[in-house]
Amino acid sequence: MQNLSETQATVERPLPPKTFHLWLIAVPLLVAIVWSVTGLNITLSRLLDAPGDAWTILRQMIPPAFGEVYERGAVGKVFESVYIAWIGTIIGALISLPLAFLAAHNVAPIWIRSPIRQLFNAIRAVPELILAVVLIPVTGLGAWAGTLAIGLHSIGTLGKWACESIEDIDDGPVEATKACGGKWVNGMRWGVLPQVMPIVSSYWLFRFEINVRASAVLGMIGAGGVGSELVSQLSFRNFPAASAVLLMTMAVVLTIDTISAAVRRRIIKGAEIDEESKNLEAIADLTGIRA
Amino acid sequence: MNDDPKIPIRPTKPKPRARSFVIALVLLGLTFWAAIKVSFNLSTFWEVWSNPIWAKFWPIPWDWVLTKENTFDPLIETLQIAVASTLVGCLLALPVSFAMSSLTTPNKVVYFFSRSIMNLVRAVPDLFWAKLLVTAIGIGAFAGAWSLTIFSLAVMVKLFSETVDAADPKPLEAARSSGAKHLPAVRTGVLPTVFPSYVAYSLYIFELNIRASVVLGLVGAGGVGRVIETQRQFFRFDRILGLLVIIFVIVWIIEQISVSLRKRLV
Repeated sequence: MQNLSETQATVERPLPPKTFHLWLIAVPLLVAIVWSVTGLNITLSRLLDAPGDAWTILRQMIPPAFGEVYERGAVGKVFESVYIAWIGTIIGALISLPLAFLAAHNVAPIWIRSPIRQLFNAIRAVPELILAVVLIPVTGLGAWAGTLAIGLHSIGTLGKWACESIEDIDDGPVEATKACGGKWVNGMRWGVLPQVMPIVSSYWLFRFEINVRASAVLGMIGAGGVGSELVSQLSFRNFPAASAVLLMTMAVVLTIDTISAAVRRRIIKGAEIDEESKNLEAIADLTGIRA
Repeated sequence: MNDDPKIPIRPTKPKPRARSFVIALVLLGLTFWAAIKVSFNLSTFWEVWSNPIWAKFWPIPWDWVLTKENTFDPLIETLQIAVASTLVGCLLALPVSFAMSSLTTPNKVVYFFSRSIMNLVRAVPDLFWAKLLVTAIGIGAFAGAWSLTIFSLAVMVKLFSETVDAADPKPLEAARSSGAKHLPAVRTGVLPTVFPSYVAYSLYIFELNIRASVVLGLVGAGGVGRVIETQRQFFRFDRILGLLVIIFVIVWIIEQISVSLRKRLV
């Protein structure tokens, strides 16, 4: 009995590990909140009024006036957004694919791949909306400005993704074409392209989903598509019509997402993808902006 | 021809199926139709580059751009929108993500509702939210901050609830089997293992919000985009170009800091 109590006395509860001091994080966070909130002129009354105002608008949005916006040709506008996204994706895909071959470190020499990589990075740094702001004075208002903005911007991401998948290939087939006396182009055509095409084409589809959202937004500044319709209905304070436009856009976005996701799964069935980084890219693109 | 049995017959190429032809034709037709609809024209590519209006983008009037009221005050407002919406959105996202994960959800009803609402919120692009809120609660940074808060909440719960889904369930089981209630069990069993990625995702959301807040002003939701929009209406493209240069230098610096912090976290 005595033995047992002696052994118990020697066992001590392990000390909790030393942790980072919480206030070192909490104080800067608090300062950041106070700083940002004071800058935004958020008074208590505005904060308390906001939910009420939002609720008033929401109540006026029901029921949505589908008939009215249909007569104004909003369905055509929604499809215009889809067309812009489709042609923009094709422009981006066609330009980015050859560039990606010149940017991959296993198939291209350094003097050509570093400028092309910088080009991809630079394009990805500029949001579509800013591209459209710059392009609209040149092309004029309308769908073509949006298409060019989306096409240009897609080159950046599509080029980066394609380049990364080219870097991941198995070198065997490329060596085999070389051993048969094939030139660089033959190696790319028969050694690389068949390996990367499934994943690259699924990236194209993925980018198309993103571009549908992006082109809807581009319409807000006059670059064609459904955004202009939403803006004009909201500025007339015609809320039933605005909610109809919004619901139509959501329906098209969700439908295209679902179909495209199914096709993508079919294309790369069994292929390994880095799920987390793809999610991050997905979110980046979903918001039309990139890190 | 091939009489020698030692040389294998070359395998024949599989014939394409009729279905593939139909799909290709439909896609091609759709592409042409869409190209006509967006007035696609190869020659416009060259017209765009040779347009004389490009000359109006140069030279950059640095003495106008590098002033407090034209660039730096709106930029600070942009930063404040991004900081406020990231903090509020990510704080709200913490409980919602736990409700949305099959591992930690309190019950099926909460799980189902939080998931479907968040999916709907995400189907609306961020600038649509901004425009809606500008209409509802007035022009300015306040509406912009709200719209980015909503959007960062929706994006954050998507990312983070998937991390919670993938968390190790054993600590949670251990906490439950020792009699812990739901909240303490989640707090001690799951939160510590997923907290580093929560912080990393928050930083990522901050980067997204910085970029989004730059363009918010184009729809009247405050920040430096407001200046771009005004100058756009005056056709002062040289000023816009100068603003863009400053914006991207600052955004790039902030992003590099955030990216290096994230690399150390995960």
